Amino acid sequence: MTVALSETDMPMIRTRRISAVPRGGRRPWTFYALATVFTLYVAALYGPMICIYILSFQDIRGGLVFPMKGRSLHWFIDLFTQVRTGDVNGSFDRSIKLAVLVTVITLVVSLMAGLAFRRRFSGDTFVFYTMIGSLVAPGLVLGLGVGLLFQWIGISPGWYTSALGAQLSWTLPFGVLVMFAVMSRFNSVWEEAARDLGATRWQTIRLVVIPVLAPGLVAVALFGFTLSYDEFARTLQTAGSLNTLPLEIWSMTLNVTSPSLYALGTVTTIVSFIIIGASIGAITIINKRRGVRATGH
Amino acid sequence: MRAGAGDIELAGLCKSYDGVTNVVDGVNLKIPDGAYCCFLGPSGCGKTTILRMIAGHEEPTAGEIVIGGENVAGLAPVERRTAMMFQSYALFPHLTVRDNIAFALRVRGQSKAERYKAADLMMEKVRLTELAYRLPANLSGGQQQRVALARAAITEPRVLLLDEPLSALDEQLRVQMRQELRRMQRELGITFVHVTHTQLEAIALADIVVVMEKGKIKQAGRARDVYAYPRDRYVAEFLGGQNVLSGKVEKVGDGLLVLSQPNRSGIQVRLDAEVRVAVGDRIDLAVRRDDIELVRADAGGPSDGATALPSRVTAIEYQGSFVKVMLDTVPDDDFVAYIPERTFFRDPFTVGDVLLATWSAGRARVLA
Amino acid sequence: MRRPSLSTWLYVTPLMLVLVPFFLLPTLVVLVASFLETDGFGGLLPTFTLANYADVLTSAQTFHLYVATLKFAFLTWLFTLIIGFLVAYFLVFHVQNQLLAIGLFLICTIPFWTSNIIRMISWIPLLGKEGLVNSALLGTGLIREPLEVLLYSGLAVVIAYVHQLTIFMVVPIFNSLARIDKRVVEAALDAGASRLDVMLYLIIPMSKSGIALGSTFVISIVMGDFFVVKVMSGGSSASVVSAFYENVGVLQYPIAAASAMLLTLVLIAMIALILRLVDIRREITQ
Repeated sequence: MTVALSETDMPMIRTRRISAVPRGGRRPWTFYALATVFTLYVAALYGPMICIYILSFQDIRGGLVFPMKGRSLHWFIDLFTQVRTGDVNGSFDRSIKLAVLVTVITLVVSLMAGLAFRRRFSGDTFVFYTMIGSLVAPGLVLGLGVGLLFQWIGISPGWYTSALGAQLSWTLPFGVLVMFAVMSRFNSVWEEAARDLGATRWQTIRLVVIPVLAPGLVAVALFGFTLSYDEFARTLQTAGSLNTLPLEIWSMTLNVTSPSLYALGTVTTIVSFIIIGASIGAITIINKRRGVRATGH
Repeated sequence: MRAGAGDIELAGLCKSYDGVTNVVDGVNLKIPDGAYCCFLGPSGCGKTTILRMIAGHEEPTAGEIVIGGENVAGLAPVERRTAMMFQSYALFPHLTVRDNIAFALRVRGQSKAERYKAADLMMEKVRLTELAYRLPANLSGGQQQRVALARAAITEPRVLLLDEPLSALDEQLRVQMRQELRRMQRELGITFVHVTHTQLEAIALADIVVVMEKGKIKQAGRARDVYAYPRDRYVAEFLGGQNVLSGKVEKVGDGLLVLSQPNRSGIQVRLDAEVRVAVGDRIDLAVRRDDIELVRADAGGPSDGATALPSRVTAIEYQGSFVKVMLDTVPDDDFVAYIPERTFFRDPFTVGDVLLATWSAGRARVLA
Repeated sequence: MRRPSLSTWLYVTPLMLVLVPFFLLPTLVVLVASFLETDGFGGLLPTFTLANYADVLTSAQTFHLYVATLKFAFLTWLFTLIIGFLVAYFLVFHVQNQLLAIGLFLICTIPFWTSNIIRMISWIPLLGKEGLVNSALLGTGLIREPLEVLLYSGLAVVIAYVHQLTIFMVVPIFNSLARIDKRVVEAALDAGASRLDVMLYLIIPMSKSGIALGSTFVISIVMGDFFVVKVMSGGSSASVVSAFYENVGVLQYPIAAASAMLLTLVLIAMIALILRLVDIRREITQ
């Protein structure tokens, strides 16, 4: 049965044609507008840093601004050898060691907390908001609090005590939040299957849960490492007399006026990139082997 | 291949999650050792819950489960010597087929050599040997199912529990894999408990079909008994293949039963046996859909002793080897006739035709 | 499978072992310290006093600092929201290839993984008097003299904040938008809605929780920051926390503590306001 379309149907159809979702490749003008915004954003994001990297390769005549004078590795050498530019070697070393420790602890603790939060339990809201609070609290305030607390108790602020704790109070909430996202994709039927086949609780965690969650765990480790490595405000108050790298950089910005600072920036970024690259590479390889698509199924 | 009996007995089994409604409501059942038992019912009828209680993944609120003469209350799944095949197979995504199958032996502490040997044997049985090193993501649905089966069977359980194992497959594969399951069950010789909502699947596979509704068993018996001789309206309708007429008895006697419904009275049905109903009783009458013959109203009437009810065709569906003809014989109930395809096309009907729905006297049954 | 609460608590214990001494207790300590007197040398006398709060609340400096900081917070929030939303929207709805979308998303997040102090000093060669921007503008003849306002000013502060914090908006909004079932959008378009309608009535409401989460991060970070302001304004502006830092520097702990508590209260008020509108817990743990 066919019905002739009346006048009143026509306007609707006209509107529909204009507002249809682009099918078959024809893109609306908003795509180009947004793409431009996106490109500008990424350029603005990377622009300043790229300037630094370029400028760090100047030779001995180099200053802090463009135009670039010469090309050499002078400032990199200067960075690691000259005493007046600060204790880069030492603080770099300490930063890495502390970051590794923070990573391991964050990984284990976040995994445990993530497992716990799969079900509601009494007091879970309290724990949750404490975590969020720790995340948004101004670093400096917490630093003061920890400093005062340790003073009262009589422990002097130190590397592996107060600085470690202060950094963990920042990395753990992040780690747990990432675990939440990872857990939501984890199907608990695998645990039941393991139990059905006779695995104990510990065997299930070791042989099933952790391997399946591996990509997510790498992401948590990544967070832990980089957040610690770059952490500044909380560590400022709690590090005691020996500096981490960010603290060192901070004091350098106050004192040093040569491109060796830029060289430091380049070096520290390279370290970050290596870690990120390794992590993403690991995650991609694991997922590819298991046939997991990018959407995470 | 197996040691220890796998007969199952459920006594007064109940399960409630909120203390108010019973998801499983007083189930009593005996499943003999080595039988293939299918639980059949719509979603929410409690069949999966019963399966999980037998497996040990849920605790009953009341009642007992006895496997091989042993009361398994409180025992962990592995201690009951049952194994479960999950609906989505739940294959470990990070392990190869071989490792998936060998998993149960690994957690028991067997050495690599031992467990791989056993796994290889199992893979041969389910014909998966060439796929030994593949990951689950690279397997087809049918292959995944075989891995799941092998993984469960390697522990030599006395009961294998299957949670809608064929729902994830498409039609053609489903029919194929059905036979695979049947073959495995025969070979292993153990009790299979299989949960499904597909009637044809249940009657194809099972020695015992258990039809459930809202937590209770409506009928349990051989496939043929349940299909051809349903005990009540629900079972008849769920299994399909039957027309059910309900009504009040107006008159009974002399091989004739007259029913009346709110919208139609004087429905005359011929019977050839004594029925114990009285005038005024409300009864359900069942007639198999393939027992119905359709005769044109003007073609000289039905044979003697047959029931003939005037009807109009409301819809026609071609089903390959037979044709489904929907009629308005009984206004308050669905009435469908399955006509063999060749018979139908000798003199095809169209929607709106008036004809007589007939069946011979002995074909109608009064349901309990 | 029911797990008793006790063993679940065991799993959460390590987390609390860190959060209690390094978040809850320090916050408590600061609270207590704000009610005590200083002995002038960095120690605290155990006398209860409200003088610290009186000082902080009545000083004109406090008022100006909060105004300045709130101004920065608002501007930053506005710009990060707009840019963040557009970027996230682009990635979710206009990039057809899933893999490409995730790749581009990662590209946006990578700078976050590098030291933010470095990112701060990197503005100098760009925005300074002799920087690239000024050189370019002078070169093309758009301006006669180098713009001094680009660096070491309020504008520079906002630029630095937006640069650093947009990512905090992009990530949660991206998450929210990615959860929107595209079929719902298609159904709406099928029913005759215009793309603007879809944006106003479907997409923005459904991304509310992402916006709330992002806003929480951005606002807390700006309110709690002293570093960016100090560096990028060249000292011409100050923030709440910079004043706090100065107090700490001269060992005036009680006053510092009092202003810290005040900041905390303001922050809690702002976040509570946001949370009223959106249930963040459900958003995160879903």
